[in-house]
Amino acid sequence: MRLDRVFLVRSTAHAFLCAAWLLTGCGRASNPNETVLTFSGSALGAEGTLVAKQLQRFMQLNPGIRVELQRTPDDASQRHQLYVQWLNARVGNPSILQLDVVWTPEFAAAGWVLPLDKYGPPRAEFFPATITANTWAGKLYALPWFADVGLLYRRTDLVPNEPKTLEEMVADAQAAMSRRGGPRYGIVWQGARYEGLITGFVEYLGAFGGRIIDDKGEVVVNRPEAVRALEFMRDELYKTNVAPLDVLTWHEEEARFAFQNGNAVFMRNWPYPVAAMSDTAQSKVAGKFAVSPMPASGAAPGGHSTAALGGAQLAINAYADHPDAAYKLIAYLTAPEQMLERAQAVGQYPTRPALYNDARLRTAIAIPLDNARRAIESATPRPVTPIYTELSEILQIELHRALVRQAEPRDALNSAAARINALIERTGMRKLMTGAAKESAP
Amino acid sequence: MKKISRLGHEARLGWTLVAPALGVIALIAIFPLGWTFWESLHLHELRMPWLGKPFVGLANYIEIAKDPRFWAALGHTAFFTVVSISLELLIGLFLALAMNRVFRGRGFVRAAVLVPWAIPTVVAALLWRFIFESQGGIANALLVDAGILRQPMVWFIQASTAWVPVILADVWKTTPFVALLLLAGLQNIDLTLYEAAAVDGANAWWQLRHITLPLLKPAILVTLIFRTLDGFRVFDLIYVLTGGGPGTSTEPVALYTFNALLQNLRFGYGSALSVVIFAITFGLAMFYVRGLGVRLGGEES
Repeated sequence: MRLDRVFLVRSTAHAFLCAAWLLTGCGRASNPNETVLTFSGSALGAEGTLVAKQLQRFMQLNPGIRVELQRTPDDASQRHQLYVQWLNARVGNPSILQLDVVWTPEFAAAGWVLPLDKYGPPRAEFFPATITANTWAGKLYALPWFADVGLLYRRTDLVPNEPKTLEEMVADAQAAMSRRGGPRYGIVWQGARYEGLITGFVEYLGAFGGRIIDDKGEVVVNRPEAVRALEFMRDELYKTNVAPLDVLTWHEEEARFAFQNGNAVFMRNWPYPVAAMSDTAQSKVAGKFAVSPMPASGAAPGGHSTAALGGAQLAINAYADHPDAAYKLIAYLTAPEQMLERAQAVGQYPTRPALYNDARLRTAIAIPLDNARRAIESATPRPVTPIYTELSEILQIELHRALVRQAEPRDALNSAAARINALIERTGMRKLMTGAAKESAP
Repeated sequence: MKKISRLGHEARLGWTLVAPALGVIALIAIFPLGWTFWESLHLHELRMPWLGKPFVGLANYIEIAKDPRFWAALGHTAFFTVVSISLELLIGLFLALAMNRVFRGRGFVRAAVLVPWAIPTVVAALLWRFIFESQGGIANALLVDAGILRQPMVWFIQASTAWVPVILADVWKTTPFVALLLLAGLQNIDLTLYEAAAVDGANAWWQLRHITLPLLKPAILVTLIFRTLDGFRVFDLIYVLTGGGPGTSTEPVALYTFNALLQNLRFGYGSALSVVIFAITFGLAMFYVRGLGVRLGGEES
């Protein structure tokens, strides 16, 4: 009897151990000399097929390395939350992380991703803004994989020439709206209280020569240039009346619907709608629109044409087992050939300016290469800081309050600046930022 | 002697029998609560490991006391709770009285009334968002056709109008539940009371005031306690409908807490907010149970 019980306990324990062993993946017959990497990234639909194909090719070129695909949510904030939880638990998988453009400093300051400098990454071959966005305390932490950039869409049948200034854009919009049978809306953008509002604001801000945080780490979002930028956006809603109040609840898709159905003269959006809007089956504006960079204000001397920068970066998990192999994969995926293939398969913009001279790219992205390059060259990263997410939340609320007329632009921006400064104090960021600035200095 | 030891034995057996249940309660209710409280005494920002996880005493609670966004959120929650529950009680009572009548198809009506309650909140919220969302939406079209609005309006960009769909959606969705609870209360009232009153010449209004409402009080209070606690926890409806906007002018405490805890990953501060919400709902429940004498089941004492 007693023996039986011991036997029972032992075999149960054994079963559990086996199960644990299988779950952790040790049960798989694996080559002890093989290096295993895990890659997480956008893996849906055509993008998923492309990633699988490129990983397969990489493994053929590097027989000692096996890459496994780990699925992560496609929604950026969900993926962010998951990454943060894993990294807090010091989990080494996935070994390669796909970061949104505004996350790199946060992950770098937290020590969750490795600096890439010792591998000698070819910084100069990428658009400068995409490198700036991935640099923290003088070190490069991620390589830009593809770029997203804010663009101004225009109905060429109504406004044949690209407006040179924001003021011209508003005048063009008014003229086109007042024509008989003209569209209902002059310009549509993303004005709901979310990250999209910040990207739009950054563009107007640059157009008037303003910044959110300057090079010395001072919060300057309440300076007169910034107030004027916000006033200009507000005037579009209430004074020049070119933007419908609806935009204050709109995201990218609502703006696209309005423009695609022929209801707007201009639209601020990312490159992604080009494909759908060029399709005559679903679009009323196919062949009747063009894109260009957002113009600068003609009334602000320090203003310059500015596009918000988005897109994805690849970085190495600081707890990963094989960082060198991981860098090899990152270098491979961000090499010109893979980038070009990516543009051809899913229309995402390369982060290497040289590719914009390549004729093969012309058929891959639906807009003139020169316009695309100009837009990315005028791209400005949103503030490069580890506390970006909370900073953005503060700004989203205050900008929205000003735009729905709960507050005057000046007061809203003063309040935003005060709260961002308080955030900087609370998180010890002041010390970290001056430290970072010192390390950046040669 | 024998009797006492027997009682002791029974008590021991009783404790043994409820021990698993108590263990489960401790595990799923008391332990997380204690942990949340412990967490709330620390500075713990998941995104900023360089800050460490120092013990900060009541610093998070002091920050809450000084946080205007928290107080505004508390105000929004109270406003939402009071307005929506008042409407639900009023309409629910009306529905319950109607359903209590004997008429053909009563069973069908009772089932039909419950349909909004059966729809998941997120789906209901999306539905109402769709109705109110665009200038060409159904709400605008109806109001303009009826001559109430001169032109379509954007409901979600003013605090005063953004509350309209929120409260309408909640009333639409929860009134059936209220009506059903009240109906159960109505069915417990002895019909002979009405007969006696009628014999004495009391009219319908007098019967409602002096028979129905007093005898319905327990049911009303149970409804109130359920709905107040629900109202204070309101999250999904507002998350979907307004996201707390415009600005933060419809943001309830639960949404603010979610934001601090799961969006910004401020575990210390977010835990402190959770503890505060818990204290408020607990206080409200105590007030109802002790102060108003609500009996949650059980016999009259």
